[in-house]
Amino acid sequence: MTTSPAPDDPDLIAAEYVLGTLEAAERANAERRRTQDPGFDRAVAAWESRLSPLLDLAGDVTPPPSVYTNLLLRLPPQERAAPGLAGGASVSDDSPFLGQSNVIRLQRSLRVWKTSAIAATALAASLAMAIGVRELTQSRGPVGTAANFVAVLQKDAASPAFILSVDLETKSVTVRPVAAQPEPGKAYELWLVDASLGTPKSLGLIGDKPYSTAKGLPYTSQIVQNATYAVSIEPPGGSPIGVPTGPVVYAGKLIQTTP
Amino acid sequence: MSLDRLDESPPRTARDISDLLARVAQKDRAAFSALYKATSAKLYSVISRILTRGATSDEVLQDVYVKIWEKAGTFNPDIASPITWMATIARNRALDEVRRAKPVSFDAMGDDLDIAAEEFDPLGSRERSEDLKRLLECLSGLDEEKRQMVLLAYYRGMSRDALAKKFGRPVPTIKTWLHRSLSQLRGCLST
Repeated sequence: MTTSPAPDDPDLIAAEYVLGTLEAAERANAERRRTQDPGFDRAVAAWESRLSPLLDLAGDVTPPPSVYTNLLLRLPPQERAAPGLAGGASVSDDSPFLGQSNVIRLQRSLRVWKTSAIAATALAASLAMAIGVRELTQSRGPVGTAANFVAVLQKDAASPAFILSVDLETKSVTVRPVAAQPEPGKAYELWLVDASLGTPKSLGLIGDKPYSTAKGLPYTSQIVQNATYAVSIEPPGGSPIGVPTGPVVYAGKLIQTTP
Repeated sequence: MSLDRLDESPPRTARDISDLLARVAQKDRAAFSALYKATSAKLYSVISRILTRGATSDEVLQDVYVKIWEKAGTFNPDIASPITWMATIARNRALDEVRRAKPVSFDAMGDDLDIAAEEFDPLGSRERSEDLKRLLECLSGLDEEKRQMVLLAYYRGMSRDALAKKFGRPVPTIKTWLHRSLSQLRGCLST
């Protein structure tokens, strides 16, 4: 054997894996081998370490703000102990990340709400009962009887909430802030988030009127129905760049109230 | 409640990032936010050099941070620096993506492939780590063409096929050259 490297030297396969030159099938083989062959896995780690100083030269490229917003929507809902919210002022309370979304089935009876033992959703439930259900069952709401989807966006029992109802027929979204006051100099902006649309789409600012409606959304019924609805905090007048710039404080999906 | 946590000045040292990762392992979202703020530009740069389409880079960056959220507990500061650990996740994810997609068109990659000029020149003011100096010395021991291949592969995710087209050589030749170059680097770095 000369000094010329053997073609199947595992260390050089590991090196090529790290370098990135393997084609898809070989790359998949190498990944499988990492899980089965500790020596190979160590060889990969050694090559990662050898070549990683190059990362110092890779520079910085700031990603678009929409990446962060969409990322937030992909994290699992924040875990929060419902009974008593022990340790009330926990660090995560002022996190800029999504609050827990309490999505409430409005078609349940009032009695069920009253006997519900889920403390963290009690306020949302009562809000839904007082505003949402009346609107749905007595057709007094701005979107009428066809308002067959609803979401309650709320972080926890002590936080402001929004009630969102959607009329798929007219593709209208109505949002009601309930005891939700943005900080002075800030505004709440409502977004529709769906993977097929790329970036979140603004549905407009949520004013301090009893309700705000966005009509005739230019998206398919399927998107309107399956999208995530999110509220971010923006400067007065809304995000200047068309995607959320402030923290996304609430998000939730619709649930069907009248099948 | 404070809504401007993202405006905290980003942590800079490896120790800071390690601490953030430890908190992320405990599902601390404020720490995750700070970690994103501190590291996303680096990871996005790594990813977008390999993936030339912006929309794909955006998705991959999200995937990478979701994985970091899930795997932060497995980070071991004794084995790798935190940014290396994160950038390795980013590179691997981007490479998986670029290998799965159709072969990258050369027109899409543009002609600005002179990594040597692009990467090595404008760094006078930046402090280079000892490891980087050593690696650069070893890289400079390779022939120009072979050094470019290694760097194009590392930064741009070029496969053997892509390198073969770029350099007008058969794929087996590229493979042999890569193996010789890597072998030489390994020897140089171990001295």
